[in-house]
Amino acid sequence: MADLLEIDGISAAYGRIQALSEVSLKVPEGAIVALLGSNGAGKSTTLNTVSRLVPVTKGRIRFAGEEIQSWASHKVVSAGVLQVPEGREVFRDMSVRENLDMGAYRRSDAAGIRRDLDRVFEYFPKLQERLQQKAGTLSGGEQQMLLIGRALMAGPRLLLLDEPSLGLSPVLVQQIFAIIERLNKDGLTILLVEQNAAIALGCSTYAYILENGEMALEGASAQLRQDDSVRRTYLGG
Amino acid sequence: MAVFALPPFPDLSIGPDMDLQLALIFLQQGIASGLVSGSVYALLALAIVVIFKTSDVPNFAQGEVFMAAGYVALYLFVFQKMPIWVVLPATLVVAFLAMALFRRFVLDQVAKSAKDLVYLVIATLGLSYVLKGLVRRTGFGDTPRSFPALVPTDSIMIGQASVTMLDLAIFGTAVTVMAAFFWMFNYTKTGRAMRAVGMNPKAAQLVGVDLRRCHMLIWGLSGVISAIAALLISPKILMTADMGSIVMLAFAAAIVGGFSSLPGAVVGGFVIGIVENMVGLFISSRAIVLAPFLAILIVLVLRPQGLFGGKLTIKKV
Ligand SMILES: Nc1ncnc2c1ncn2[C@@H]1O[C@H](COP(=O)(O)OP(=O)(O)OP(=O)(O)O)[C@@H](O)[C@H]1O
Ligand SMILES: [Mg+2]
Repeated sequence: MADLLEIDGISAAYGRIQALSEVSLKVPEGAIVALLGSNGAGKSTTLNTVSRLVPVTKGRIRFAGEEIQSWASHKVVSAGVLQVPEGREVFRDMSVRENLDMGAYRRSDAAGIRRDLDRVFEYFPKLQERLQQKAGTLSGGEQQMLLIGRALMAGPRLLLLDEPSLGLSPVLVQQIFAIIERLNKDGLTILLVEQNAAIALGCSTYAYILENGEMALEGASAQLRQDDSVRRTYLGG
Repeated sequence: MAVFALPPFPDLSIGPDMDLQLALIFLQQGIASGLVSGSVYALLALAIVVIFKTSDVPNFAQGEVFMAAGYVALYLFVFQKMPIWVVLPATLVVAFLAMALFRRFVLDQVAKSAKDLVYLVIATLGLSYVLKGLVRRTGFGDTPRSFPALVPTDSIMIGQASVTMLDLAIFGTAVTVMAAFFWMFNYTKTGRAMRAVGMNPKAAQLVGVDLRRCHMLIWGLSGVISAIAALLISPKILMTADMGSIVMLAFAAAIVGGFSSLPGAVVGGFVIGIVENMVGLFISSRAIVLAPFLAILIVLVLRPQGLFGGKLTIKKV
């Protein structure tokens, strides 16, 4: 299938700290692609260059055939690239409902928004029960669900998921990943950043491994699971 | 606790034998006059707080924006003899543009090269000097003037308080403007985006809020609110290039209200206005300058987070 996202030799820096050097990766339409790496490898930075929060100093980013590396962040959202950030970046003092409404900020098709809201409730019935609760008072797992729901409200074509398993109990991690796979079956393309390599390699078809801002390894997920060096470094033996 | 004992003023207007009747009249007059001057403090405090909530910057130029807007109106109306229905909207448009463009071309630029918020605060101080300097240069500020009142200034009695039609118009307009702003901020899509930017600018960008545009709009509206305050009060005061110093009372109002709450800013404005008038009536007109500090002290001792402030939190850096 055609590549929905194509990152082609991008570099990025925070002041003098080089965070990415000539990183390339591809996400085919309809796939789940995993981006792995240890702390500080540059995974979040990669997603943030795509979301246009971090400028690239070199290279190109193509989404659905268009070069987006110099776009404004809101234009990328309108085009259908939605990031689910790491940490609990909800709008804390807003209700769950308002957080979801914020997800649809760039849309004005009332019927479509309504439909997507129902879809979010289907994936996350918990959110419907807590519609009026302040987002900041939700549990960690519920906040993660809200973040994904908020991104879905934008009607995305590509979801950039940043460590959805972070800080969740094993049971919740299972639940969240079941939903991620369901979203993918329902047609959503996903670029998944994870430190939990085992689970990420389990649900993705292809994977990349970043080390110190450079692409160290890539391959079909099934193969990487068998790879000795990957097993030693990322799968704990 | 005698830390804040007022010096004994010789002209104490209330003594142990002051009769109750007079005290009641003073009380009513203090509240009525307090609500009028409080309207202006409340508007300015609102303008300060809405910027602080979304940019984390106390805008120290808010008083000078207020002052300069007053002079724009004076210039257009008195010197250019433009009709009032042109002067009012033109003043608001100028205030909007000045603040929006300052945000866009000065603050965004400063923020790009310096991460520290201190530089933004210094930039607002710079704006305050620029505006004061501009007004001084024109020379219109040399002679103190009053803006002609558009509403009759005949006194009427409400209860035992004497107020003018102008006072009522000031209070009524201020309340209407504040209500409209609350509605916008809390119940419209644009307002929701503004609140989102205040809570979490990164998340706001990730759902597609155009941060730059949103900030320009907020600063512009804050300029409009200040200009309205100037239009309302300038018939009642002598305008000078220093009239912006009234902003100290608006900052006091914002502090009393918790500094990050819009209703707090408004209530704080009225509290400061009333306390100020009460101090003037019951203690001494010379003690008025101490009134806002008295109000801050009392509120912060009883409720350190301000009247409407949330829980005290350590801000994550
Ligand atoms: N805002 C920033 N300012 C300066 N340096 C930064 C900033 N954000 C990230 N970095 C640095 O860039 C490098 C890559 O960070 P990044 O957040 O992309 O790593 P990551 O792979 O997502 O790590 P983690 O798994 O811990 O989230 C790190 O060395 C980090 O310290
Ligand atoms: Mg990260």
